[in-house]
Amino acid sequence: MNNKANSGITLKSTQEDHLIAWLAALAIAIHIIESVLPSPLPGVKPGLANVITIAVFIRFGWRAAVWVSMLRVLVGSILIGTFLSPTFMLSFSGAVATLIVLWLASQLPGRGFGPIGLCLLAAMAHMFGQFYTAYLLFIPHEGLFKLLPLLMTAAVIFGIISGIIVRSMMHHLEKGTDGITPSQRNVQEE
Amino acid sequence: MTRADYLIVLFAALLLPYLYVSQWSSSEVGTTAAIMNGDKTIAVSLAHDHTLTIDGALGPTIIKIEAGKIRFATSPCLGKQCIHSGWLQQTGEFAACLPNRISVAVLGDAPRFDSINF
Amino acid sequence: MKWLWLNLTLLLAFGLSGCSESPQVHQAKLFTLGTLVDVTVLHRDEAAAARAVEIVESELATVNAQWHAWRDSPLTQINQQLALGNTVAIDAATYRFIQQAQTLASHSEQRFNPAIGALVALWGFHSDERPDSAPPTQEAINALLKSAPSMADITLTETTLSSNNRAVQLDFGAFGKGYAIDQAVARLKQSGIENAIVNAGGDLRAIGSKNERPWRIGIRHPTAAGVIASLEIIDDESVFTSGNYERFFDFSGQRYHHIIDPRSGYPAQGTVSVTVIHRSAAVADAAATALFIAGAEQWPRIARQMGVDEVMLIDEQLTLHMTPKMAQRIQLEIDDAELNIVGGEQ
Repeated sequence: MNNKANSGITLKSTQEDHLIAWLAALAIAIHIIESVLPSPLPGVKPGLANVITIAVFIRFGWRAAVWVSMLRVLVGSILIGTFLSPTFMLSFSGAVATLIVLWLASQLPGRGFGPIGLCLLAAMAHMFGQFYTAYLLFIPHEGLFKLLPLLMTAAVIFGIISGIIVRSMMHHLEKGTDGITPSQRNVQEE
Repeated sequence: MTRADYLIVLFAALLLPYLYVSQWSSSEVGTTAAIMNGDKTIAVSLAHDHTLTIDGALGPTIIKIEAGKIRFATSPCLGKQCIHSGWLQQTGEFAACLPNRISVAVLGDAPRFDSINF
Repeated sequence: MKWLWLNLTLLLAFGLSGCSESPQVHQAKLFTLGTLVDVTVLHRDEAAAARAVEIVESELATVNAQWHAWRDSPLTQINQQLALGNTVAIDAATYRFIQQAQTLASHSEQRFNPAIGALVALWGFHSDERPDSAPPTQEAINALLKSAPSMADITLTETTLSSNNRAVQLDFGAFGKGYAIDQAVARLKQSGIENAIVNAGGDLRAIGSKNERPWRIGIRHPTAAGVIASLEIIDDESVFTSGNYERFFDFSGQRYHHIIDPRSGYPAQGTVSVTVIHRSAAVADAAATALFIAGAEQWPRIARQMGVDEVMLIDEQLTLHMTPKMAQRIQLEIDDAELNIVGGEQ
């Protein structure tokens, strides 16, 4: 992949596709690492992998963000072995909720949200999507709401941290505007 | 940070205290617990010490009631988060085992009954 | 992409329907029937729940106005005519009401006796607040007992009511509340309400359920704080309790409660409370009073005659006497209760 120049076959993949693929792979890695973090509600995660979703959203738009986050959820859960389990449903619903608010955010007029606003919004949507799915499908008990303040606090903290990370990522990506390869390395090194 | 960013940070800053106040405001010693297994709920009194075995989606979960407190004692789930939740005693305290689909909520006297006969 | 949109739409629809489709519990408190009435309605629509509360209020108020035993009412007018030995013209609703009371009184061997209004008045219970003043004298009580008024003295046709005993003074204190709740619940069902509880001063009828789970009813401890037992209701049942703690007065160290034994003319002794579960609130109401008066010895026989098979009687030693059916469904909420399950076969 990193030496497509000497390949004789015309793969109709652009540099942009490569970058998205790399980012998706990174998202999957974060997803797997995150799966071992403890949580008061098993399967409900703060959504650090959203960092990649937001970066892709800012850089390549909403459709690309959909691909990256869906790939992350599907491949990540297949690799951990939670595909179609409650954990998968929670990841999936978190990703879908994130994508919904990102789509709404993309419809905003003017400058709209920066990285921090987007990440915070996405983190809260992600948590709420997971929480509501857990409530609806698995534990439809009002007592579950007692956990919401803690989970939301975690979401807000992680949302802001993700926002800072995404902001510095964007900074790096912007630096290599004419050649994508260098910035690709930067992303890998993050 | 854009203006929209500030607005969403403000929103989060207002949402969190609201959630804590609305969900955690009452805390007194509970008298009963609602144990939910799948979509079935049973109410147990915390007045008597005993041990319950509940067959969840993965296998048996053992719940202990002792001196007015309740806890997950053993669980077939991997994370054991439910067990780490420890003893629950205050109304509104809650622990759940999502993999085994079992939850425990401590309740006060009032919500236990829909109506009182006398 | 299509697949994603389909899922997204489904999830949204699911999520939203989850919000709006689970009916909420609406509660209202009313003051009628001389007591606090608690109406619980489970409904999606707040306006529909509010209409249900209005229906209950108007039904209860109608029965209260019709059958009030001491404020000027159609009943006090009937009593005046009966005292004069006159025949009273009645309408269909009045006929049904008195006929049901007469049948229940007969099955209870007149333990449930709505004809002793004069005795209840003599004890001072024909007032909202009975002051702590002296109980009636033995002579006054004896004078009323001598004429032995009962529902058996009543001659009832579909349009007329008369009594061959001028001492008959009707007082439906142990029946009117149940009847009123039955009327209110019937109207609720007619108007499409499927899940509700009407609780008038502790006596209740519950219909339907609470979002797929039974209604949970606690029975208050008659002598201590908290709940002595609990039970669950699915579909449609009434729970009525008559207790010596409900209305009473104290005089020179002695407590006198409001459940007058028509045989002695005094408050019935030996029982603390009786709880009856039956579909009809009117039957449960009359039976709770009749079995309270019947006491720990005779209640199983009277209960059989009245067609009630879920009964709990608590005596002064706090022993719980129950029918097997009651023992089966009730959940005790106290430690070391003295239990006596009566009557192997009903």
